[in-house]
Amino acid sequence: MASTLLVGTKKGLFVVGDEGVAGPLLPGWEIYHAVAVDGVVYVAANNFVYGATVQRSADGGSTWERSDPIEGLDKAWHIEPAGDGVLYLGGDPGCLFRSDDAGRTWQPNEALANHPTRGSWHPGAGGLCCHSIQVTPDALYVAISAAGAFRSDDDGETWMPINRGIAADFLPDESPEVGHCVHKLLAHPGRPGRLWQQNHCGTYRSDDRGDTWKRLDPNGLPSDFGFGIALDPADPDAAYVIPEQGAEYRVTTEGRLAVWQTRDGGASWSPEADGLPDPAWTGVLRDAMCFDAGGVYFGTQSGSVFSTGRGGDWRELASQLPPVCSVSAAEL
Amino acid sequence: MVSVVLPSLLAAQAGGRKQFDVDAATVGLALRALPVADLIFDGSAGLRPLVNVYLDGADVRGMDGLATPVSGGQTVRVVAAVAGG
Repeated sequence: MASTLLVGTKKGLFVVGDEGVAGPLLPGWEIYHAVAVDGVVYVAANNFVYGATVQRSADGGSTWERSDPIEGLDKAWHIEPAGDGVLYLGGDPGCLFRSDDAGRTWQPNEALANHPTRGSWHPGAGGLCCHSIQVTPDALYVAISAAGAFRSDDDGETWMPINRGIAADFLPDESPEVGHCVHKLLAHPGRPGRLWQQNHCGTYRSDDRGDTWKRLDPNGLPSDFGFGIALDPADPDAAYVIPEQGAEYRVTTEGRLAVWQTRDGGASWSPEADGLPDPAWTGVLRDAMCFDAGGVYFGTQSGSVFSTGRGGDWRELASQLPPVCSVSAAEL
Repeated sequence: MVSVVLPSLLAAQAGGRKQFDVDAATVGLALRALPVADLIFDGSAGLRPLVNVYLDGADVRGMDGLATPVSGGQTVRVVAAVAGG
């Protein structure tokens, strides 16, 4: 398995490693996302009384330092490292921030905050959340629910909606420019221009930086609905999703917990469920899934964390945790 | 000096200290002196909606709020409101 997993939950941060489960760190905080950069852990930590924060620890979680207050941030959702001390933060209400000092201070992205389509953005069940940020050599991408995906070709100075071909069957106009309920967006690190997204209305791939999208369900998938998606950096045609039984239910399809895998760019999908509990009426949130050298890792809203190696059976690494919000592989 | 007492979650964010003794003329200034002031106040410099503050056991909202004068020996207590089920 990965050397360490950072598991963000509704009740604090847990560290899952070869020696077991440690935590909770930051008890009482909802950890929407955690990521490690050069041994420093950053968390998007929210509390219903004390608000939204970004906190960092350079000593494995023994002590924590809060960022300066982040004006305009109602909830912190996702932290994305961009190298050289630069970090991006996505949050509610549909906002993006950048830090050039390793997370001590944050500056809002004004172009996204004042985007001309903003009047057509609407909060999803989780709020108006900027939950996906992808930094590639030639573009910056964000995804917001329910606004859609956006690309910037000028380092965040301007943003272009990239939702052509994405369904939005909950809107009167089923092909709007924005208003889409994207659940997770990832760029493949080894195939320039290739994006994958799990959406409220389907699973998609783009090979032209989001200018057009190809729908990849059903192709064997039991549902068009889900949240997380994971990619194999070594194989641009491989992806992993965990379908759920539609927006009205938001649990595993027919109680069957499985990770569905494609190795042909989404032309076909097959389930991997050996070793997983059956039935399992649960769900997996959008950041609660990742890929690392050892394979796929995910955590459930029932408080379990699972892993597998390539082709191996699933193994439960932790159980009886609070509902899992995020799972990230880390070197600490 | 005025004593300010914090609930456990805020104390953890203040390096583990539950009590601070500060020089301040009002409740608001006493809270502003804390290392967790950003968690107590919202962006408009008012108390966050679910943060309650008591001066010697009385809710400051029933007095002059953050402008309530304080004097030596008094205790300001921060309490997270009971909310939810």
